[in-house]
Amino acid sequence: MKYRKMKKNNSAAFVFIIKLVLGITFVCASYHKIADPGSFARILYGYGIFPGAAINILAIIVPFIELTAGMSLIFGLYPRSALFIINALLCGFIFIIGFNLLRGHNFDCGCFSFAAHSNTLSNLEILIRDIFLLAAGIYMARHTRAS
Amino acid sequence: MKMTGKDFKGVVILVSAAVITGLVFNYFSPSGIMLSGKWDPSQGVVDPVSRTGSLDSSIEINNPEIVKNIVEKKLRLVLDARPEFIYNQGHLPSAMSFPLVDFDERIAGFMHSVDRKQPILVYCSGPECTDSHTVAERLIHLGYENVRVFSGGFRQWQDRGYEIQENEKE
Repeated sequence: MKYRKMKKNNSAAFVFIIKLVLGITFVCASYHKIADPGSFARILYGYGIFPGAAINILAIIVPFIELTAGMSLIFGLYPRSALFIINALLCGFIFIIGFNLLRGHNFDCGCFSFAAHSNTLSNLEILIRDIFLLAAGIYMARHTRAS
Repeated sequence: MKMTGKDFKGVVILVSAAVITGLVFNYFSPSGIMLSGKWDPSQGVVDPVSRTGSLDSSIEINNPEIVKNIVEKKLRLVLDARPEFIYNQGHLPSAMSFPLVDFDERIAGFMHSVDRKQPILVYCSGPECTDSHTVAERLIHLGYENVRVFSGGFRQWQDRGYEIQENEKE
């Protein structure tokens, strides 16, 4: 009985930590995009997927969707809805990065010295990170009760 | 995860809040951008178009044939705004390395040796790159009267199969 209670407490703590990690990750990820939407728009353009007419709108709105979903998850307001949005965003990111890696599209504006090096590895790292985050998001979704 | 009616309502509320906040914030933010940008590279350097102003497209030369003529006849001093190690891998003939990242270090020597009336052409890697614009705008600000930007940059030059000069490896 005591063991079961301890296991339940551990599981709740684990879910709480994942919730915080996911929420904080999305809030932090939105910060620089909100501060500099022009640079984010250039990154979106560089992926070579989005039509020109959609780039600025996405650059303005997506960071706020990340922020809202992250905050909502942290503060427990519509947590399942926030998880749905976060998982949908992560699926989108994984698709875009994976698609570009598969087709060998390695955007590099050459504007700064750090951009001059191949960024295939960093894209791969981001892809792996996003897959881990999605796994955490799916785990959370399975352990978050419907309101 | 089975979506309930309340979950769906939550998604609508959160996304709506994000869209409204995003649009309002962007409208008042000094770093805000217009709802549509300039994303056609054939029309010059791509630009999200800031709410406070966009890149000065009037200084751009979009035609690589004109640039080829300028380079061949040495009508302008050509500056390569990319980092020097990239410049060393290949650049426009007779172009001088003038990386944006080293602008502050190099500008004093440049101003000492190059007359303000000297026609200048700046380029960087391609139409996605704004370093050429930044260098050009800084030079104009410092009094250089005739500065233009090759919007197609090194990539367009290379794609056209024009002559590329490589520096000897050290």
